[in-house]
Parts: sequence; structure tokens; C-alpha cells
Amino acid sequence: MSNDPTKKLIDDKGIRLDGRQIDQLRDVKIISRVLNNADGSCLVVWGKNKILAGVYGPRECIPRHDASPYRSKVRCRYNMAPFCSLEEHGRSGPSRRSQELSKVISEAFENVIIAESFPKTAIDVFIDVLQSDGGTRCAALTAAAVAIADAGIPCKDLVCAVAVGKIGDTVVLDLSKDEDNFGQSDNPMAFASRNGDVLLYQMDGLLTREETETALKMAQEASKKIHALQVEALKEGFEKKGIKFLPLSIKPEQVQ
Amino acid sequence: MTRILVPGEEVAQSSQRLAYTYTDGQKTYATVISLFSPEGKVIPLQGPYEPIMDDAVIGFVSDSRHSGYDVQIGSANKCFLSSRETRSSFKLSDMIMARIKSVDETGTIDLTDARLLKDGQLAKISPVKVPRLIGKKNSMINLLSHATGCQIYVGRNGMVFISNEGDFSLAREAIAIVEDQAHISGLTDRMAQFLADKTGKDMSNPPEVQYDSMPRSEGGSHSRDEYSRDRPRRHSGGFSRRSNERR
Amino acid sequence: MQYREIDIERNPLQNAEGSAICRIGKTQVIAGVKIDLATPFADRPDEGVLSMSAEFTPLGASHFEPGPPRVDAIEVARVVDRAIRSAETINLKSMKIEGMDKVLAAYIDLWIIDHDGNLFDAGLMASMAALMNTRIPKVEDGKLIRNETSGNMKIGAIPVSCTFAKYGDHFLLDPDFVEESGAEGTMTVATTPEFMCSGQKSGPGALTQKNIMELIDISFEQGKNLRRIIEG
Repeated sequence: MSNDPTKKLIDDKGIRLDGRQIDQLRDVKIISRVLNNADGSCLVVWGKNKILAGVYGPRECIPRHDASPYRSKVRCRYNMAPFCSLEEHGRSGPSRRSQELSKVISEAFENVIIAESFPKTAIDVFIDVLQSDGGTRCAALTAAAVAIADAGIPCKDLVCAVAVGKIGDTVVLDLSKDEDNFGQSDNPMAFASRNGDVLLYQMDGLLTREETETALKMAQEASKKIHALQVEALKEGFEKKGIKFLPLSIKPEQVQ
Repeated sequence: MTRILVPGEEVAQSSQRLAYTYTDGQKTYATVISLFSPEGKVIPLQGPYEPIMDDAVIGFVSDSRHSGYDVQIGSANKCFLSSRETRSSFKLSDMIMARIKSVDETGTIDLTDARLLKDGQLAKISPVKVPRLIGKKNSMINLLSHATGCQIYVGRNGMVFISNEGDFSLAREAIAIVEDQAHISGLTDRMAQFLADKTGKDMSNPPEVQYDSMPRSEGGSHSRDEYSRDRPRRHSGGFSRRSNERR
Repeated sequence: MQYREIDIERNPLQNAEGSAICRIGKTQVIAGVKIDLATPFADRPDEGVLSMSAEFTPLGASHFEPGPPRVDAIEVARVVDRAIRSAETINLKSMKIEGMDKVLAAYIDLWIIDHDGNLFDAGLMASMAALMNTRIPKVEDGKLIRNETSGNMKIGAIPVSCTFAKYGDHFLLDPDFVEESGAEGTMTVATTPEFMCSGQKSGPGALTQKNIMELIDISFEQGKNLRRIIEG
């Protein structure tokens, strides 16, 4: 993973390929209430990523044997559309990577959704990646959180996720796809906004102990900014009237 | 000052027991997208139907057995009308209005006092906005009935029956307005103006709709205030089945 | 006999070579076009490949489930595919590459994100809007250079379709989900200015021959307006 291209990923002045500082997020825009059928929905445009989340629930749990008499079953499904990548046309059906991401994202939400309120039901969260450019699982989790809140499903918190990585021996925030491909580590994390608890944590590559700590702090700081965008999206979303639509062409904005 | 709350937003600096909130023992946070009223109540703006005893609900008969009927009320809850609880008999797909006799800890509902609804169609509104559609002392529903000339029955589950006689599409339009603007104050006055403009009728003193043919809870529930339903939806920190308790 | 409000956004996605989102009332359908190199079909070695698929993604409706496409999704994809193929919208022969065994392949995926009826018409309009803005990547040394383009896809005739729901002797143009569910069946007619290029009677219920001719006439008429919307 670590070879010559890393030298170009970050220059002497600490500026990255796309012009960002080492602790700077890509441009993000979050919009809620974009689908008519789903109980809750959200579009997250994060850099070049475009991720759509739709929630149904609480609803009847099918298959019945999955239902729990104590709580609702939270099922998240992360899926990539075949036209989402810059490269070839993708295969249909979830890959092993998609299945793994579905699991860790579901588990993050099991922590925050107050599922005991709706026993024997299911809360289904579907996240479709319509366009991908690195860091899709973080954008996906962020979108899902807004969609779940949009549906009025009780949650202890609004959670969001941010990835930190290492390129050119420097810990940097929010890797783009190129930085991830040629970088030295990728470390996505999800945080609860109330107390900074970590609800999703994955990591690959090589990091020293100090670097993991730097990464945690850097990600948590950034997650507060994303959280502010989620709150804004929810407050604007519920004011919407009439037929809902997905503004897929919308441009993301610089995160303050 | 009414402000909008989102899940995880702080509502109090201390641990409190308040509907639609969650406490970790130190502070209290909202759990759903809601309004924080000046009286300190959390009013949800969105969310599933939460059935409680005595609610009037509207639904469809989805299965018919010797022992009774399965009823679909558009929520995840299983709903059953025992043959012993009704003098009428129903067929598959019949639209009925009934009262909730009891809800068990898994959310399964037992119905009673069912009657057939016919010659009409259904509209839907988000269950949390039903109090707004009924209005204080039936104010909103009286306006709609008078303006449209339809008989309108509102189920607490968000299903609204509108009779065929009268202006059905105006009723639908008015319900959509309540759905969009339930959180904005002065809606009853604006609705009166809107209906007056649309129908040319005088909306200042709409006649009281006669509800004596409806199950009795419809009359009883309107004595509650406009928004709250006094439901104990508290969520204490950690896993606790006590969150399903009802007072 | 009137369409709900129709809206088309062109090229909302940049990774796909072509894309569009089409809304009819509350129905929302995304079409994504990817261009790849592929082995041609054995019986047509000089032609490019056109492959259409439709995904009823589970966020699109409460009854959509994850899993392989059900027959409804397959039907939408095949009916829209037939319209595009029969109308010769894409010149498949032009997708052959000089000096190579491989040919260009266009993969069109319909992503149904909001189902309120009439997926056929929305799907075809989204596909057409996407194709009309599809850029062909440059081919060099037998490989695709994706960030360089050799031009936009050349489009021939533009097919559009009209879907009708049958209620006895009455037909509803552009049925929404409730109207489709309660109908005896639907009829979809795709047309170019001169020809009918795809037809599908879906669902039980019988049509009289007079019904069919009337619907074809209405489709040619309505087609003019639909085509104007696609061309923007």
C-alpha cells in the first residue's frame, strides 16, 4: 500500500491533492425528507459521494422467527449501485464488503435506537451508494442516522461517522478514494454526539499508538461539524410541504 | 419559545421523567424530532402510532376466523377483534372503526365496539398529528365537516374516514394542509379562512358534529389538550423493559 | 388522460458515464449508464452490447425486498430495453472498435427509489435522458481512459412510452400506485414519431382490439409532448 505515489499525496506545505489541509473535511451537504414512500429518508453528498438512505419502520418483522418479543429488530443494509464507481459497471447484489459494512452499521444503531419501544417489529434501514469516492461507510452511517430521526423513531442520540487516515506519514482527516488507495492507513469511526462514545471503529494499515490517539481526537472534532449539518438538515426537512423529491444534482458546501 | 428538538438534543440539565425523552441519569435529551413547547412538553412531529387503551382506530379486516378478525391498522401492531367483542359480523376488506380494549406488553391490540364504515374512502395522516386534526374541543374537525359536507371520522392511528357524500377532494386537501402545518400556530384560523375561500361558506361558527354513533372514546378523548396525550413514553438509560410500562 | 407533473434532472452523477433522474408525480427513478469494454455476443461479433436492468431497491416501497430481481423488475427492464433497442436509439454497430475483438458495452441500470406507479414511462424517460448525455470514454491501446472522452453517445430515434391502467372500459393514463393496484391490468405503448417500438400488456384482464388501437393513437399523440420534455 505504501509506495511512491504517497509522496505526491501531500506536499511540503501540508496541502493535499485536492487542495485540503490535513484536518479539513471535504464539502458536505445533508438533506432530509427526499423520498415519498419511505417513513424517513436522507441524501448525503460528501465530496463526490452521493448516498441515499431510506427507513421503513417500525413495521412487521418478516421473517417472523427473527422477531424479538422484547425489542424491535434493527436491520441496516448497505448496498452499492452498479453505476456508483468511476471504474467498471458493478455486479448486482451485495458484495462481502457490503455485507460486512451492513453488519457494523446495524450494530452502531443498535446502541442508539430505543428498540424496546416496539417489540416484535423490525426497523429496516436501507442505504444505497449512488456515487462513491472514498469514505462511503461514514457517509452511509451519517445518512442513516438522519433518515431514522426523520422517521420519528426514538433514538438516544444522533450519530455520525468520519474517517481518518494516514498519507505521507501524516495523520489526515477524511480520505478521498485516491488517498485511501495509495495511503498508509484508513480508520473510519462513528461517534455519539452526547458523550463522544465510539459506536463504530475499523482500521487497516499501520498506525503507531500516538497516531491512533491523534486519529481519535481528530475524528471526534470533525464529527461535531457533521453533527451540526445533520441537525440543520432535520430542522429544514420537516418544514417541507407537498411531494418530496431527491435533489440529486445538489452541490455540497464547505464545512465550517 | 417553541423550539425544534432533534434526537440527542439536551432538554434539561438534570435527570427528568418527561415523555419522548431519555435520561442518562445526569441530563435529559429528546429522543425524536419534536417541538419543545413553552410549557416544557415535548411534542413529536413524526413517528409511529403508539396505541393506548380507549383509542378509536380505523382499519381493514385482513383475516376472518371463527374466533374473530385480524385488523390492519397501518402500523406494525397486530390487531385482533374477538367475535365476543362485537355484535356485527364482518367480511375481508371491510373498513371498520373500533375502540382499543387493551394493549399487551408486546404491542398486540385487542379491539372492541367495532362498527362497519361504508360509502366512503380513507385518507392518511401521520399519527402524531391526529390531535391537531381533531382540534381543541373538535374545533378543526367541525370546520372540515361543515365545509365539505362529509362525515369525517378520525382514527388515532392516522386513518381518516371520509364519507362519499360531500366534497371528498377538499377534505383530502385540508387534511394534507394539517399534515404540513400541524406545528405552526394559528392553523385553525388559517384553515377556516382557506375553507371559506374554497367553499364560499361562512366558517365562523361551524355546527357541532354529532358523534353519538361513534364509539364512546371519540367523545372522551377530546377533553385532552390539543397536543399531549399524556402518554408515559419515558426512556431511562440502558436497556430497560420498563419503557413499555403504561400508567 | 393527463400526466402528473414530470421533471427530469440530467447528469446528477459524475462517476457514471451518463445519468438522469425522472420524476412523475411521486414516482422517482434514477437511470445510470456505465460504458465498459466487453466480449460481444457470439452471433453478433460486430455489434456493441446493450444491457438493461431494473432494481426495485428496498427503500423504494414498503413491499420491495432485498434480493434478486423479482419478475416485476425484470418486466420493467425488458420492456424499456425493447423500446430502446427497437427504436435503434443506439447504433450498436458504431460500438465496434477498430482492431479489437472487444466492443463497447452500455449498461443501463434503473434504480427505483420511489414507487408511486408507472415505472415503465418513468424508467424509459430516465433512460433516454441519461443516454442523451452519455459520454463515451476514449479507447487507447485496448483500454478505456475514463477521464477522457471521445464524444457523446450518438442518439438515433427517441422512444417514449405511455402506460394505461384498465378499469372495465375506462383507461387511466399514467396511473399512480393505487390506480395500478386496483386495475385489471395495464397497457404500455412505446413510440417514436413514426413507429410503435415496444408494447406490453401487463396483468390479467382482456383488451378489445378497439381498445388497443385507441391506446396506440393516444400514445402517438402524447408522445410528442413527452419527447419535448426529454429533449429539454
